[in-house]
Amino acid sequence: MGVGRSTAVGSRSAAVEAALDAVTGPAPKLLMVFAAIGHDPTELLAGLREAAPGTPIVGCTTHGEIAPGGPTDGTVTVAALGGTGLTVRTAVAEHASGRQRDAGAEVAATAEPLADQPYRVLMMLTDGQIRDQESILRGAYGVLGAAVPLFGGASADGWRMTGGYLFYDDRVLTDAVVGIAIASEAPMSVSVKHGWDKVGEPMIVTSAGDGRVYTLDDRPALDVYLDRLGAPPEAYTDEEAFKQFALPRPLGVQRRSGVEARNLSTEVDLEGRSIGGGSAIDHGGLTWAMTGDEQSILAATDEACHAAIEGLKGEAPVGMLTFSCAALRAVLGDEGIQHEGARLDKWADGVPFAGFYTYGEIARTRGIDGFHNQTLAILALA
Amino acid sequence: MSDGAAALQVQQLLELLAAVTSLSDEETAVQAAVERAAQALEAEVCAVLTEGRVVAAVGFPAGTVPFSDLHAVVVRERDMLEVAGLGTCRAMSAAWGGSHPGDLVIARWGDDSFTAGERNLLRGMARMLELTLTMLRTLHSEKEMRARSELQAAENAQLAESLGEQQRLLLRLSVIQRAISRREPLEQILETITVAAHELLGDEIVGLWVRDPEAPDRAKLRSTVGLSINRLPSLSLGEAGAAGEAMRVGDVVVLDGYDHASPAIRDLTGGQLRASMAAPVHESNRIVGGLLVASYRPDRGYTAKDKQTLRTFAENVSLALTDAHTMNMVHLAVHDTLTGLASRGLFLERMTEQLATGELTALLFVDLDRFKEVNDTLGHAAGDQLLVVTAERIRSELRATDVAGRFGGDEFAVLLRGVSGLADAVAVGERLVKSLSEPTLIAGQRVNVQASVGIALSAADGEVAAELMRRADIAMYQAKRNGRNRCEVFTGEMLLEFAAGT
Repeated sequence: MGVGRSTAVGSRSAAVEAALDAVTGPAPKLLMVFAAIGHDPTELLAGLREAAPGTPIVGCTTHGEIAPGGPTDGTVTVAALGGTGLTVRTAVAEHASGRQRDAGAEVAATAEPLADQPYRVLMMLTDGQIRDQESILRGAYGVLGAAVPLFGGASADGWRMTGGYLFYDDRVLTDAVVGIAIASEAPMSVSVKHGWDKVGEPMIVTSAGDGRVYTLDDRPALDVYLDRLGAPPEAYTDEEAFKQFALPRPLGVQRRSGVEARNLSTEVDLEGRSIGGGSAIDHGGLTWAMTGDEQSILAATDEACHAAIEGLKGEAPVGMLTFSCAALRAVLGDEGIQHEGARLDKWADGVPFAGFYTYGEIARTRGIDGFHNQTLAILALA
Repeated sequence: MSDGAAALQVQQLLELLAAVTSLSDEETAVQAAVERAAQALEAEVCAVLTEGRVVAAVGFPAGTVPFSDLHAVVVRERDMLEVAGLGTCRAMSAAWGGSHPGDLVIARWGDDSFTAGERNLLRGMARMLELTLTMLRTLHSEKEMRARSELQAAENAQLAESLGEQQRLLLRLSVIQRAISRREPLEQILETITVAAHELLGDEIVGLWVRDPEAPDRAKLRSTVGLSINRLPSLSLGEAGAAGEAMRVGDVVVLDGYDHASPAIRDLTGGQLRASMAAPVHESNRIVGGLLVASYRPDRGYTAKDKQTLRTFAENVSLALTDAHTMNMVHLAVHDTLTGLASRGLFLERMTEQLATGELTALLFVDLDRFKEVNDTLGHAAGDQLLVVTAERIRSELRATDVAGRFGGDEFAVLLRGVSGLADAVAVGERLVKSLSEPTLIAGQRVNVQASVGIALSAADGEVAAELMRRADIAMYQAKRNGRNRCEVFTGEMLLEFAAGT
């Protein structure tokens, strides 16, 4: 695996430059591109095609690109996968909204022929605008079963909230799922961690539906959540103020092995006083307000890196894909994300890695769930 | 079990309940249940077995669900499950009873064995699944019953509607057939039929087209609802739309739209016609017309029942036309074809009937003077025309109850029923003499003829027709002998003179 990054302004030249840096050996098997939303997607693909003719291309737009030397904004970052013992197949499912499960199943089918390989991972890049992304994972899980870990992320648009793009060979797509089946003779390992802690007593979901929470403890969910965290008055009435307040304060949902974080910042309903978690939060569930700071988040970065590398069963990593949540930037700040980058550099220890700040992380290793908010997800390859 | 773990398991049961009860069919509810159960226990594999098969499962690659392994867990033969690509997983199951028993099987990878709380949770989930499935089945059968009863109600309503329509059709047909049997005027009968078709089929236009007697390949509108006949000349069958087509093929014809309609039809209907249907009309087994219904409504389509209704109306038109035709033939047989007056046979029949009543009856014999001259100088056609005019003039001097007949040549006879005396008969005779002596314009020429009229009254003691005719005949000859253009009443002297040959 090789990684290249270009800060060049021209989209085509940036792509050429990043791709040439990334391709270190002969005949790369896949180019994975993470590009700032400001780049011209068509020019960008033309550059990649020029630098590595005939190589399959996947990728998406970001809310910041992650690579050795610290995260950046506005760049084109390319990871090239190749080498002996590695097999890559790609697929795409379009018009995924409304048929998420089928879209997941369609791209998962690309990993089926690789069942004879010792290690398999299905990676998925999804359009961050698609709702109910869990169903994409359920569809993939239904095809592949428990044997294949799932990994990936949802495209971002630099907080413009107008929607990002996916790249698939020479095409620029929205409302799609790109699937990348990676099979290897060497171990691969997926990990995911978050750095949030529960605050106070749990709140019971007393009314919920369609991915929204209407009441907590029989009161309007928005007010209960804000009251619990002692929010400033403007967060009760102003959508932007709410978003800024909620970004570093996800809602925790109790699971057997811990509490999952749900990002509430983007789907508030000030009139109906309800909150949306982007994914299902069920009636009867136990939830907590959660907070975190740079320390707790960086601790999670360490845990995620440690777990990913340890999952390689003693073999040394040759590369990592690192998908961190766009919402973490609100807590970490510009300086904090550099600290996060430094931690990644330390764990990588010279091994190339690439990734981006996402609108949702995919990492399923245990159980059947795997779509996360406000986490760091890592795929390590040996 | 700690309070936290207990609270979590209560929460997980509630989540499962929320998930499965929000679904409306068994298949998706069971699929949701296996996913929720796997999620709650952070297990990779979950399956539901009922009736000896796996009805839902997660965690196995598609198409590779190992029934026998899962069943071994159900019957407690094993507490481990081999999951392809993952390895050996700890497994447990929970059963539920009731009318549709089943088993919920869970397998989790890793070292953690299932706690007592988790086993309890699985049992709770199985029980909840049983309740949910029972509820869904009850709802399903209730829904089916409701659907069945709604279907039955709809069928009943349709039957009632169809019976109502049938009744309306029968009612109208009885009106039509009564009109035919009473020999009401044909035009009136045809109008009754077109109006009935209009009311029963609901189309804006009904038209009866009949073959043009002078050009058998053309047809004319004879009776109609919703169209102006005056604007339409006779059309060739090809131009006459569905009616023309029905006349050509001899069967019911349905046309959609009028894209290919003739200019005449387009003009007649403002180019707005959307659908039409016509049935052929017969007269004595010959196709003589077509009964048409047509609509401006874009959604108008014709059902098999509509076709049958139109066919029935067309058959009634055929019946009326055939009956009228038969009547016409009968009329022709007993009436003089030239003048339309009763033939000699019919006249004698009517006279015999009249004499049998015993009423005082007068018989008038009318003979044109100098008819032969007209025939010889102006030709037979002029002679025929003179006879037609004569017949009309005779008829116009009579009451409806009187009978006029032509006996051949220029001989006419008149039967006056129920006269009060000789004076009545003489008055009619004199009126006839006067009327027939009026000049007539024939073949561009003024023609003057006169008539001699002989009058005889029936005797009180019953009399045969032949005797009365003989007496009227003698009186008529007497009128000629006395100078023509006059009428004479039969007397006994005339008989003697006649016998003497003077």
